[in-house]
Amino acid sequence: MEDSINSIYALKTSVGQEKNVARMLARKVKDSGIEVNAVLVPESLKGYVLVESSSKIDMQNPAFKVPHLRGIVEGKNAITFEEVKRFLKPEPIIASIQKGSIVELVSGPFKGEKAKVVRIDESREEVVLELIEAAVPIPVTVKADQIRIIQKEAD
Amino acid sequence: MSIKACTKCNLITTEERCPVCDIPTSTNWSGLLIIIDPERSDIARELNINIPGEYALRVR
Repeated sequence: MEDSINSIYALKTSVGQEKNVARMLARKVKDSGIEVNAVLVPESLKGYVLVESSSKIDMQNPAFKVPHLRGIVEGKNAITFEEVKRFLKPEPIIASIQKGSIVELVSGPFKGEKAKVVRIDESREEVVLELIEAAVPIPVTVKADQIRIIQKEAD
Repeated sequence: MSIKACTKCNLITTEERCPVCDIPTSTNWSGLLIIIDPERSDIARELNINIPGEYALRVR
């Protein structure tokens, strides 16, 4: 139960296979009794999984022979717990959107269209957009995860 | 049968209601955290997780 005994390691995986690798790794680790306490897959970190372990990770161990697992990130300094904390509590996307931002829709019927943010509804995590290329400005309400910010503020 | 996450405890399940909290689950989640040993994990302690299992990092 000691506090600083755990270290966090970053493992490189194929992009898009992070969750599968994490699940397979968790199962293999349980079976083999290696001391891995948690496996973390942050959405913002593509191609990596983070592993919390109280012992050094030996990639030669058969338990780490997992498809799509490419290797361990070597480094002098281990990842600190402080660095991992910000992955644990991801900031809502909506907090980084401002009124007047230029965004691109990434899903839905207007996928690929550029739009300007006219209103933000923080509690429902929705934004009201106005499509730039439309002849008549029609307000469109979408969820905050359906857009990608292109330009943070209006000029 | 889609993978869902509890909106309260973030546990990932396929059920309509969370088996732990008995509240409706959501399909809108992101991030994955697998807790193997909650007793020894700093991450589990930080997020007050006591049950091993799969958790989402963000649920809406």
